[in-house]
Amino acid sequence: MTDRQTLLLCLLPALLLLAVTQFYPLAQSLRVSLHDWTLARSPVMGEFVGGANYLRVLNDRQFSGALSFTLSLALGSTLLSLAAGFALALLTLGEDWRFRMSRTLLLLPMVIAPVAVGTVWRMMLAARIGPVNEALRALGLPTPNWLGDPRLAQFTLTVIDAWQWTPFVMIVMSAALASLPSEVLRAAQMDGAGRALILRRIVLPMVLPVLLLVAMFRMVDALMTLDIVFTTTGGGPGFATQTLGYWIYVQGLRYFNISYAAAASWLLLVLCMATAAGFLVWRKRIMAWQGGQ
Amino acid sequence: MIRGALVTLALAVSLGPFVVLVVNSVRPSDAFLASGAGFIPSEITFDHYRAVFGGDGDTLRFLWNSVVVTAATTVLALLLGAPAAYALARLKLPFRLSIVFALAFLIVRFYPKITIALPYYLIMRDLGWLDTHLAVILAHVSITVPFVVWLMLGFLEELPREIEQSAMMDGCGAWGRFVWVVLPLSAPALGAAAVLTAFTSWNEFLMASTVATNSAKTLPVRISAFITDKGILWGNMAAMGSVIVVPVALFALATQRYLVRGLTAGAVKG
Repeated sequence: MTDRQTLLLCLLPALLLLAVTQFYPLAQSLRVSLHDWTLARSPVMGEFVGGANYLRVLNDRQFSGALSFTLSLALGSTLLSLAAGFALALLTLGEDWRFRMSRTLLLLPMVIAPVAVGTVWRMMLAARIGPVNEALRALGLPTPNWLGDPRLAQFTLTVIDAWQWTPFVMIVMSAALASLPSEVLRAAQMDGAGRALILRRIVLPMVLPVLLLVAMFRMVDALMTLDIVFTTTGGGPGFATQTLGYWIYVQGLRYFNISYAAAASWLLLVLCMATAAGFLVWRKRIMAWQGGQ
Repeated sequence: MIRGALVTLALAVSLGPFVVLVVNSVRPSDAFLASGAGFIPSEITFDHYRAVFGGDGDTLRFLWNSVVVTAATTVLALLLGAPAAYALARLKLPFRLSIVFALAFLIVRFYPKITIALPYYLIMRDLGWLDTHLAVILAHVSITVPFVVWLMLGFLEELPREIEQSAMMDGCGAWGRFVWVVLPLSAPALGAAAVLTAFTSWNEFLMASTVATNSAKTLPVRISAFITDKGILWGNMAAMGSVIVVPVALFALATQRYLVRGLTAGAVKG
């Protein structure tokens, strides 16, 4: 066997697996979205209906509600985690053992299952027995029903998502900062009036390409959020905290409105891909502009 | 001074919930209802663990499922992904096919898995594989192989080719060079890929809950059912949560070097 044949054989199994378990289902869901099919009524796909499912989805009040919550969650969580993660990366910069240990420990929220994160925070925020409200009560402050009030629950979920993924931003930004020239870093860590200026004028532009890449990952992932909804609010109160992913899951896998869910899931796919592409174009422009300076 | 205080505050916010989870898992049931009972439980009980593991709790089976799925996924993802990455790094294909294939792996990261979940369910139904370990493992491997390929690809492109040349002159074929020369040198990248794959599989909820309808359920699927239970059993929920969270947290502390390398590989360089 020639080297070329061997290498092709190395590549084939992985490609084949992806074709069968990812790309074929992807094409299949597009096909289903153009047909009429409710699994509860029929085990086989119904007739071709063109874009009818898409039109129905776009006119569905629950879809637009889920879309607007998903967008606000993604935007809020991305911005929060970028700010907190970047701040933590700056704060824990250095090879001192305390900072190294802090970086390791601060990583923990992102390694646990999102469904478990939901469970943990449901416990933390429980209206009566939760430690958060217990602490607020002890301080004589009001004790809100964090997951029970529609607006507040939306805010709470956004913060929980940011809590989980802040470490991701921190880790990547720590690595990006560590790769900067040491004079820059020392200047950025100095106390005094010049520090904010150095951060904004020198450090930030240098790490901006990495920051935008992290923002892209965060934003795309946040648009797909569904796990934490299951174990915090179940989409409630009412339908206030249904994300698109959660709503599609319920439509497809609980009510078996598969062609309807497939159409909605393709809209979500387009949203995710467009977001990723938008960030990459933006990043390229900024890098070209920086290079031109 | 301020710096230390801020880092301490961040540590409290990040780790506090883990402490609460574990403490609640050993708190007696009646202490949940007594308001103002204090954070430290006056006595410790293992009743909740007994409840979720024994009787109809069935946690042992879900734990076993999670272990089997995670182990098999990690091994398979590396077995498929590492050779594929090597092939992509060394093959010269016409029509820029190498780039097309590399992008095919990359794109899996950027679309919602809910889009494939339903058709995947139907495929598994038609194959009669619903509710089997295999169905969950295949889904997890297909999600994690792209990680492995990209991580390895980045590493292999930095690896000087001269290292392989002497082996080539000794008459060693592509497979031999991969196994005896490239793989041993790739240990750090392989480690990072393995760790990242294991975390992803252990934590994955959507695909597992789609195809594991009953006896093949993994731990994340099981804990998601707690929300529908009437009158939440806080203690059991905490015990169940601890079973998912504590092993993975310890594993993360032990492997954080690989984890960090895996997570930062693509972003910082590229």
